[in-house]
Amino acid sequence: MCIVTLHVELFGVPRLLVGQRHLTIQSNGPTLAEAARALAAAHPELLGKVLEPGTGWPLEGYTFAVETRFTRDPATPLRPDTSLLLVSSQAGG
Amino acid sequence: MHGYHGRLLRIDLTARCAADEPIPPEVLRAYVGGVGLATYLLNESCPPGADPLGPANPLVFAASSFVGTGITTAAKLAVASRSPQTGMIGDSLSSSYLAISLKRTGHDALVLHGAADAPTLLVVDGGRVRFEPADELLGLDPDATAAAVRARVGADFRVAAIGLAGERGVRYASIVNDGRLAGRTGGGAVMGAKKLKAIAVRGDVPTSVAQPIALAAAARELAARSLGAATAKYREVGTAANVVFFDRLGILPTRNFATGTFEGAEAIGGETLLAERGADRHACAACTVGCEHHYRRRDGGAGATVRLEYETLFALGSLCGVDDPDVVLRAAARCDELGMDAISTGATIAWAMECRERGVVLGAGEEPPAFGDGAGLLRAVEAIGMREGIGRLLAEGTRRAAELVGGGSEAWAMHVKGLEMPGYDPRALPTLALGLAVAARGACHNRTTAYEVDLSDRLERDATPLARARAAAASEDRAALMDSLTVCKFLRGCFDDFEAETARLYELVTGLPTSAADLRAAGHRIVELKRLFNQRQGWTRADDTLPPRLRAEIPDLDAMIDAYYAVRGWNEDGTVGTPV
Repeated sequence: MCIVTLHVELFGVPRLLVGQRHLTIQSNGPTLAEAARALAAAHPELLGKVLEPGTGWPLEGYTFAVETRFTRDPATPLRPDTSLLLVSSQAGG
Repeated sequence: MHGYHGRLLRIDLTARCAADEPIPPEVLRAYVGGVGLATYLLNESCPPGADPLGPANPLVFAASSFVGTGITTAAKLAVASRSPQTGMIGDSLSSSYLAISLKRTGHDALVLHGAADAPTLLVVDGGRVRFEPADELLGLDPDATAAAVRARVGADFRVAAIGLAGERGVRYASIVNDGRLAGRTGGGAVMGAKKLKAIAVRGDVPTSVAQPIALAAAARELAARSLGAATAKYREVGTAANVVFFDRLGILPTRNFATGTFEGAEAIGGETLLAERGADRHACAACTVGCEHHYRRRDGGAGATVRLEYETLFALGSLCGVDDPDVVLRAAARCDELGMDAISTGATIAWAMECRERGVVLGAGEEPPAFGDGAGLLRAVEAIGMREGIGRLLAEGTRRAAELVGGGSEAWAMHVKGLEMPGYDPRALPTLALGLAVAARGACHNRTTAYEVDLSDRLERDATPLARARAAAASEDRAALMDSLTVCKFLRGCFDDFEAETARLYELVTGLPTSAADLRAAGHRIVELKRLFNQRQGWTRADDTLPPRLRAEIPDLDAMIDAYYAVRGWNEDGTVGTPV
């Protein structure tokens, strides 16, 4: 197993639910899917509102950005110390 | 045809008379309603070269077939005229009960011509029209005007009004109804030039629906979806949530677009405002989402809470380098009270701030504030609304002000076609950059929404100009369709297939067999008609561009514009050959 340390930045609803702007999580693997599962396990308050209870994957309406690159590909590889942004996918103003 | 009344009221303010006219069914079908219908009526009513502030410029109000049917968010009204800011099409959309009242007069649209010779209140009571003096309303803010009008003519009237900015010809004055603004492109200035202080509307004609039971079920289902995760951001935090996120991405316009990050973003960000000042949440007429967040002022000023949206926050905050929430809240409230568009207000002040920084004298007898000077910002807002001191120049908007002042200040006048830039820095959003450059009404994030493409994984960062052109055109068509069905853009995440699902709703309302392809074609048709209107008013390819500061950092812009014209099937110079 490859433990990867990731930095997660929260915006909007995820930030309100968790009550923090930044998190550090330990993922059991180097992909976005594994990071999502680790985030969901560490912060169950996000489940059902932001993340899917089963997979930890963002619900429709939310998305990840790796650094500033948006992706909904679970296989996206993550390097250690990558910044992962969890945000609303709706950017209307 | 269900859903529509098939009639309009054409009102001549000069002759003080009105005529009830049919709207051909094929027009309603082709242009859908809302912005599309308003564009059609403007195009047939506005002569080329009409002075935007003269009597020949019509002012059109148009509803859609969805208004009054119970479809969530659809109680919207489009306003169109030749814009005093851009000289091109000026269209705005506003959610309010006024839209429902207009529809209940038994008409789909009002078209106002001419100009009154004295301050006037226009009363539309069902099919009857009367003109009343409005001298005692002058100087009142829009909400006070509406209250005074309803006290005079009846509490069951709905009112659209202008504030001092509209009375005094601020080119970006708004039309206010039920506290909501038809904010951009200066409809309030057009109304003021017609000496029309307010319009009161009442009616009792319901909108007929082809399949009421099936529509009610579909509307309930959409309402339920509108409360899901796709709108959670708007409901739980509001559009103000964009501030901190955009800052993180480097797309938060700051100090007149000098940069895309602002050190004060957290202080004025939606999360902070909600935690420290959140007051309550409101919804537009007939809306289940309720995205309008109000925040408490702490300065003891009148009006305990203030409505604040992202665009207002960026324009009066980061764009002017101001990080004091109380200042931003006061400035936002004052823009509403004076009845003027907060984006253009903030952007024009930011232009003046940069003039000061660069030593360019405005010659108006008063030095503009420096970036970050909150008190100066508030003074400038006031001066613009009153058209006094430096406000006389700034009330003209960035393009005209820069032309008047010179000194190279055109280089930092941040507008497209005369309409000031919204709060998305297109240097990092290339599809949006194209969308803003070619948009008929100028720099507007609501008529393109191509930022959605850039803020997703739909296109690679090195996508070709052709790919971006296709995405921008599709985004523009969809926005035109939403504005014509008068469905809120905040609902877009609630649809799996927007065109197919709204075609079904349209069919249930009107009884007309309608496909997704039909609606996509309508969106394209409406975009094209806007461009045709602009062509008749003197548009050239040179108008499809971005401010020099931005253009210099988007090397593909011309190639994207060429590709966009090709995707549209237009001529190489951007003119429309054979309309669809």
